[in-house]
Amino acid sequence: MKKTMIDYLLMAWFWSSGLLILVILLAIIVYLIWRGGAFVNLEFILESPSGFPLGTEGGIFPAIKGTLWLILLALVLSIVPGLMTAIYLSEYGRSGRLAAFISLLVQSMAGVPSIITGLFVYALGVVTLGWGISLLAGGLALAIMVFPVIVVSSRNALLAIDENYRLVASSLGVSKSYTLYRIILPRAIPGILAGILLALGYAAGATAPIMVTAAAIIASSSGALLEPVMALPYHLYILFTEHSSIHHAYATALVLVCLVLFLNILALSLSSLQERINR
Amino acid sequence: MINLGAELKEKIISFIIIGAATVSSLLLLAMLIYILRESWPIWSQIGVSAFLTGSTWRPLNTPPEIGILSMIASTMWVAGGALLIAAPLGIGCAVFLAEFAPSSLAAVLRPVVNMLTGIPSVVYGFLGAAVLVKFFEVKFDLASGESLFAASLILAIMVIPFIIANSEAALRSVASEYRHAGIALGVSKPYLTMRVLVPLARKGMLGALVLAFGRAMGETMAVLMLAGNILRFPGSWFDKGEPLAALIALELGSSIPGSFHYQALFAAGLVLVVMVIAVNAVINLLLNRIQNEV
Repeated sequence: MKKTMIDYLLMAWFWSSGLLILVILLAIIVYLIWRGGAFVNLEFILESPSGFPLGTEGGIFPAIKGTLWLILLALVLSIVPGLMTAIYLSEYGRSGRLAAFISLLVQSMAGVPSIITGLFVYALGVVTLGWGISLLAGGLALAIMVFPVIVVSSRNALLAIDENYRLVASSLGVSKSYTLYRIILPRAIPGILAGILLALGYAAGATAPIMVTAAAIIASSSGALLEPVMALPYHLYILFTEHSSIHHAYATALVLVCLVLFLNILALSLSSLQERINR
Repeated sequence: MINLGAELKEKIISFIIIGAATVSSLLLLAMLIYILRESWPIWSQIGVSAFLTGSTWRPLNTPPEIGILSMIASTMWVAGGALLIAAPLGIGCAVFLAEFAPSSLAAVLRPVVNMLTGIPSVVYGFLGAAVLVKFFEVKFDLASGESLFAASLILAIMVIPFIIANSEAALRSVASEYRHAGIALGVSKPYLTMRVLVPLARKGMLGALVLAFGRAMGETMAVLMLAGNILRFPGSWFDKGEPLAALIALELGSSIPGSFHYQALFAAGLVLVVMVIAVNAVINLLLNRIQNEV
């Protein structure tokens, strides 16, 4: 095998783009720690923002609380429809025309920009139903946004379960719902949970949909459904665009990235657990 | 039938599941119809072509002037530019992962790609604005460093992981016989990859690029923080502009519900979502054709 000049150039392209990706992630994390790490302490996590302009002193506790409320509500609203749709696609309607149509809709929904989801919930919830800028509206917008994520990941987890379980159960005369509930679902739990965690991470970082439906510059984030909340990503946006405090912006970004990456890493380890179970 | 009750129960359960799946996925159509309804006065009073080709946006004037050509152009610049930067890197990295990376390095790189998708867009936007824009300002001595180019650069980093994941999957699905035959014939690995494997995987790779383009068009936060937000027709990649998503995010909260301004923002939203869906539909058609050729 004689290597030509072009071969070397191609190899250089492949290797450098691979390594560049690694460098980009490392650079982002190292830079955030370098600029924000010194400002993240217990006081920053547990206190409310204060000072003038707001956010120059104090911490981000209401923003953390608000983000947790938002993703919890998004999960509550999306999990049942999401799981039902996944179960339909994997167990009940594998080859039908309706299933193909529903699959297509879910896929297109995954492609809909999150600001459009925000726009829809703004018109429906905030204006027409009179909820105002509120936790409820933000939770709904995030729920619509993560619905396709939950459907696709749960469907894949269910489809990955060995087909023989279904065949044996039905040949023994076990009903479909019993098989699903006692045999298929329990085996797919790590995979489904991984999808849910991924969805939570996605919701925690989403800014555009909550910026028009739920977020306030300052709020107590008590968990009342019809009140605005603070949220980490929106707080970061405000701190930066209002030039309040660049240090606190870096620190907020660091906390947000840690939260999201924690959820992602948990999801990754659960899905590798699922792979081991399936094998 | 041995047990009619049990049979009925199965029927009911499957009915509930089918119903829930249908209703929740019809939500997409409901969203589109609702947005169309909210924006209807724009389409009927101003007209589709006037709205799409007008390039002044003064919704609060009397009479209001609303055209979104500048925003559409900004969206296309930003997304197209992001793809231009992301495609070579993403495909290079996908080939690297699928064919060349030592397995220990690949085991590190794959989770890294995954984590890059997890980083929220507002963080990318913030870093872009705080680091990249500052760098442009100092380096090129600009009063403000925001531009469509800066937005493209950050968007590229955001969409690269999607390109990598989907292109790698496409490359992996190429049957290994081709690789074996290539090795047996003494063809060099890079040549084999570029001349045999990549063309075989082109359907999936093209799909990955289009998916990335769609994502870039709809991305809001990074664009909002980097593109400069100036309502003018962008003459080049290095001008400032205000893409559709940024327009909606910035102005929705201050528009009075029911006003022309409010309806125009919904019309802009409809245009954006139709653009994203159309891109996906076009590529599906195109890919089917490629498949038929093979």
